[in-house]
Amino acid sequence: MLKIIIPTIMLMPLTWLSKKNMIWINTTTYSLLISLISLSLLNQPSNNSLNFSLMFFSDPLSAPLLVLTTWLLPLMLMASQHHLSKEPLIRKKLYITMLTMLQTFLIMTFTATELISFYILFEATLVPTLIIITRWGNQTERLNAGLYFLFYTLMGSLPLLVALISIQNLTGSLNFLLIQYWNQALPDSWSNIFLWLACMMAFMVKMPLYGLHLWLPKAHVEAPIAGSMVLAAILLKLGGYGMLRITTMLNPQTSFMAYPFLMLSLWGMIMTSSICLRQTDLKSLIAYSSVSHMALVIVAVLIQTPWSYMGATALMIAHGLTSSMLFCLANSNYERTHSRTMILARGLQTLLPLMAAWWLLASLTNLALPPSINLIGELFVVMSSFSWSNITIILMGANITITALYSLYMLITTQRGKYTHHINSIKPSFTRENALMALHMTPLLLLSLNPKIILGFTY
Amino acid sequence: MNPLIFTTILMTVLLGTMIVMMSSHWLMIWIGFEMNLLAIIPILMKKYNPRTMEASTKYFLTQATASMLLMMAIIINLMHSGQWTITKVFNPTASIIMTSALAMKLGLTPFHFWVPEVTQGISLTSGLILLTWQKLAPMSILYQISPSINLNILLTMAVLSILVGGWGGLNQTQLRKIMAYSSIAHMGWMTAVLVYNPTLTMLNMLIYIMMTLTMFMLFIHSSSTTTLSLSHTWNKTPLITTLILITLLSMGGLPPLSGFMPKWMIIQELTKNSSIILPTLMAIMALLNLYFYMRLTYSTSLTMFPSTNNMKMKWQFETKRITLLPPLIVMSSLLLPLTPMLSILD
Repeated sequence: MLKIIIPTIMLMPLTWLSKKNMIWINTTTYSLLISLISLSLLNQPSNNSLNFSLMFFSDPLSAPLLVLTTWLLPLMLMASQHHLSKEPLIRKKLYITMLTMLQTFLIMTFTATELISFYILFEATLVPTLIIITRWGNQTERLNAGLYFLFYTLMGSLPLLVALISIQNLTGSLNFLLIQYWNQALPDSWSNIFLWLACMMAFMVKMPLYGLHLWLPKAHVEAPIAGSMVLAAILLKLGGYGMLRITTMLNPQTSFMAYPFLMLSLWGMIMTSSICLRQTDLKSLIAYSSVSHMALVIVAVLIQTPWSYMGATALMIAHGLTSSMLFCLANSNYERTHSRTMILARGLQTLLPLMAAWWLLASLTNLALPPSINLIGELFVVMSSFSWSNITIILMGANITITALYSLYMLITTQRGKYTHHINSIKPSFTRENALMALHMTPLLLLSLNPKIILGFTY
Repeated sequence: MNPLIFTTILMTVLLGTMIVMMSSHWLMIWIGFEMNLLAIIPILMKKYNPRTMEASTKYFLTQATASMLLMMAIIINLMHSGQWTITKVFNPTASIIMTSALAMKLGLTPFHFWVPEVTQGISLTSGLILLTWQKLAPMSILYQISPSINLNILLTMAVLSILVGGWGGLNQTQLRKIMAYSSIAHMGWMTAVLVYNPTLTMLNMLIYIMMTLTMFMLFIHSSSTTTLSLSHTWNKTPLITTLILITLLSMGGLPPLSGFMPKWMIIQELTKNSSIILPTLMAIMALLNLYFYMRLTYSTSLTMFPSTNNMKMKWQFETKRITLLPPLIVMSSLLLPLTPMLSILD
């Protein structure tokens, strides 16, 4: 694992010592090379984890997330080039340093064995993200957004720290590799109910669960493009990853403790999808769409069946790539019109036809068109929730319909129809932007040929 | 002030604390406290104006009361044990009185009212000495009598201090008052774990002193005593804004900075001793502290506050020389990976 972590840390001296004209080339190239190294982790020979050392391991759940994380850094750097072009050199280097620091913490989080180490790194990802959102965001609301982001997450995760330490007291070790063999049932008592709550709330806030999702639209909308990409693609998945890891220790309380959160998620996914139909702000639409997809993941994780775990993992990876791509597309609109309002930049198919192709592909994967991995994820989740309780099919079906509705609404509003007269002088698509979209779409389409690698450890 | 006299007074302050920390006779400890108190009054009053006089008077009155209470506790202890050696305190009444006296010296709730007012009235350097050096002596006595302290009283004072330190600082814009409330909250954290594992109290004290030193040095460097003047540092020395950001986040207890280490260790120690609600409550109330640190970082480093053109001239004047700032900054932000080394403290 050091073969990934040390090069990522060394990206920081690389940025600070690069010359002005080489800075983007250097960092993007080397981060792409690091992502190619991490691809080798996808070769998981058995159902057990690959243990690299006492501190790092990777298993079929964390390997796809790790590859997604490392794949996203060059994409983030490519996406940020335009809006940072006018900043002084030191600020560009600071921005790239923040992204690299965040990347390091994320890699270490996904591969940590010791749960306290996971917790510290989970919290550590907050600091660079906060700095990226509040320092480089574009509107005044970004300050409020940063505060909401920081305090929602911290309120949820401080009880998690106490819970982890008390579990360490009970069992003697928090090393994940040992705990999966320990697996005793938690005795039924009030304090264990609070232990369950303390363990799960941190990840529920991060996912986010429907009632605790207020920070997400603010943070996603106010963040610069790299911030939005990393938030949507990876940081939300930290919550899902944490939940998948920690539910192994929390039986049998999960069978009854999960009901309120299942209800909230099932209802919440319909509510947030419906809100998407009424959004005027493009980034806000994509943010609420993220909440809706993540609610599906929460439902999947809380049902705890093998198929639902497969669906959750696939959905996380698929949503990561799709959401990040949608944010890149929204950003390409924003850079041209300096407004996030959807109807101000409509009818773009006439002006930017190739970008319209990317919009089409992104919207189609967002509404889970076969044979994309989005569909595989959603289908597995729908099927397992149907087997858990027959009635959920109504809600799931409604959600799929409304997702299709707002994805097509977004596509038709931005691409079809007559373009407005004030955008007929926008710059044509840069090669960088087309490359960015292609690099998002290609893994997504290729994974539909071999979805086995993202189906997680219950395959 | 005449340098020779200033040196003598400073040395007396140091000597006073040393005597407190190194004596085994209760009377010598009391003498050390008095030496410390009398010698620090001129230091607090280095600038001679009514504000400083008021602050020094308040400080003197509270600390003298605390010393007298301490003396009473010592005498009660003498009556019940017949000897002056400092070991545990032999009588519960004496223990309660002594804990209250030392809490008054430290600035724990409900005896915290003097801390913001005194810190605000004196200069930044004197405030620095007040909030760091002056805490060493009472804390060392608490450390030594820790086996005999009444747990209920100490934990109540600690939790209330964290609350007051958090809520009190929310409405402040003066930097010295913010640091005062931060000191109250940190003292609360330190005394909460005193009965369970005094080594962690010392660890927290060490890291707190480093972070407070760093913060005050940065304030002295930019000669700023209000949030508004601090927000102009991006004009003068942009590097300071980054350092302020890092140190403030460390004081707020965010991983991966070293300010998280004492909080984590304290929560661990409290949880190991089967008190679960208390550390959760303490951790959540520390978020109040984090809120006003974040507000400071927002105005200083994460936004470029509007300023007049004259502000840009400030860098051309002489820069103050700050002792040991780089090592302090490194230590107050990067020590978290060294946590396994804590086993040497036992």
